[in-house]
Amino acid sequence: MVGAEAGPNVDPWSQIVRLEHGGDGSFAAIIREQVGRTPVAGLAKLETQLLRALADPAVTEAGRGFLCSQLALVGSAAAVPALGRLLAVESSADDARVALERIPGPEADAALIAGLSSLSGRRRIGLVGSIGARRSPSARETLSRLAADVGEHAEIRAIATRALALLRPASTGPAA
Amino acid sequence: MGRRRFLQLGSLAAAAPLILPARLRGAAAPSNLIHVAIIGTGNIAEGHLKTLLGYPERVRIVAVCDVDRERRDRAAALVDAAYGSQGCASVNDFREVTRRADVDAVWICTPDHWHALIGLDAVRHGKDAYVEKPLTFTIEEGRALVAATREHGRVVQHGTQHRSMKRFFDAAGYVRSGGLGKLERIEVSIPPNNRFIGSSWTPEPVPATLDWDLWLGPTPWRPYHSAGCHYNFRFISDCANGQVANWGAHYLDIGQWALDADGGGPIAVEGHGHFPTSGLFTCATHVDFTCHYANGIPMSCRTRQEGGGTVRFIGERGWIDIARNAMSASSPDLLREMQRPGKSVTLARSDNHHENFLDCIRSRAKPIADVEIGHRTTTVCNLGQIAMTLGRKLRWDPVTESFPDDPVANRLRGRAARSPWSLV
Repeated sequence: MVGAEAGPNVDPWSQIVRLEHGGDGSFAAIIREQVGRTPVAGLAKLETQLLRALADPAVTEAGRGFLCSQLALVGSAAAVPALGRLLAVESSADDARVALERIPGPEADAALIAGLSSLSGRRRIGLVGSIGARRSPSARETLSRLAADVGEHAEIRAIATRALALLRPASTGPAA
Repeated sequence: MGRRRFLQLGSLAAAAPLILPARLRGAAAPSNLIHVAIIGTGNIAEGHLKTLLGYPERVRIVAVCDVDRERRDRAAALVDAAYGSQGCASVNDFREVTRRADVDAVWICTPDHWHALIGLDAVRHGKDAYVEKPLTFTIEEGRALVAATREHGRVVQHGTQHRSMKRFFDAAGYVRSGGLGKLERIEVSIPPNNRFIGSSWTPEPVPATLDWDLWLGPTPWRPYHSAGCHYNFRFISDCANGQVANWGAHYLDIGQWALDADGGGPIAVEGHGHFPTSGLFTCATHVDFTCHYANGIPMSCRTRQEGGGTVRFIGERGWIDIARNAMSASSPDLLREMQRPGKSVTLARSDNHHENFLDCIRSRAKPIADVEIGHRTTTVCNLGQIAMTLGRKLRWDPVTESFPDDPVANRLRGRAARSPWSLV
């Protein structure tokens, strides 16, 4: 599975922050394999490594996107603060949302709702879609407000209206 | 697509009039033709378009849509030439056709990553839909499309046309009727991925005729490369699931049919694949997974280097091997038996996938490859993909459509869409 470019002594975690579209993807392949093959007990350590790389000031746009795609699979509440910060910035909002939408729990619910105060335009529409996709009862008030707000874009009101119809009953737990 | 354009379309959506399909206008209506729009006008669409032009008494193609201007204009010219008119609209954005009151049905022939969102938009706006295989890109997309289809009372046909071919009908009925004795296993073979442009690639300028942002749609942004767009999308894992969802969707579908699993699926899956570690094409180049069903019968899906797709049923009396253009068996007698009428299990029958869909648009009956059937077959493709990605055996609950004990696998059932798109 490991690419020829990734020599045996190269740490993929040091290289992943330099990932570029079209460039050598072998380091990403190594990390992707680690994410897929790590038992549940080891996921927290892996999440820490992903977050450490994500916090590197040198991380490229492609690297950030890749790291967030992996946090979508193994991220937990521990990843939410960092992702919430990225969500508030237009250029990184989609990457953060890719992860947050898939991380179960009230922390991610709250971070996505908090993102509404920062985003506009197409990213705000996408954000409302993510809030709706989680079907969390905690989003009922927010979605109701968005659905009724004539100042919001028509697509946002439509998504919020459909999302309200999809909400899980309040008694059920978070999605797996 | 620029934000202004998107906002304009959003406003258009809010103002969409009540849609009255042609079939509801009554016999005295000016036209009883089914008005169709083709969304995605590339490779596979050309076949659909030419087929539909062969039904001038039943179908009128009123619009074609593609994010590639050259392609859509070529398709529109083909339609206009056939009808001897200039009336076929040629549009960039699918929402311009799903919101047209005079469109009854759409043919969705886009790359896989668009199937669900366009399908959802179509049924929400009162359109019936023929959706090319695979039905969707993820399991969650498929369930959402089934739910919306039912909610809005639409007819959705999955483009697994083997369901309307006699040899597959015969085979599935033969196996279900015990013609092979006790069924032991099913083996699906698919051709390999054969795309490679090196372990790295250089982004290229987007052609002036292509709306690259709309081509990408819900899939993560990446720069354009000519080798990673039309047709080849299916070998890029952000857009498709390789040959598993291409040829595999056809033959796994017949396996599901023969297993009487159209409303369910396997209870476990395991497998491994060879995934390229770098480069543009990231789908598995070698596929090997096996689904296990509650009746104890395994169905495998494997890459073979020579030959196309095929499904082989192996039972205590021998085997039959059925492909689109060929069939063979361990004994000629089995094929003769298979083709005889009067089997103990009678399956729903269609001899023409397009006509079956057109008939169902009128009758409102479920088509031969109804959306639920398509979703279940596509789920088998997804399960194989997930098992190969994780490299471990996974239990699957086809009722809850979840992995009972694997949280990472569960997250792979769907993905967040790039803004502004979403499943909701």
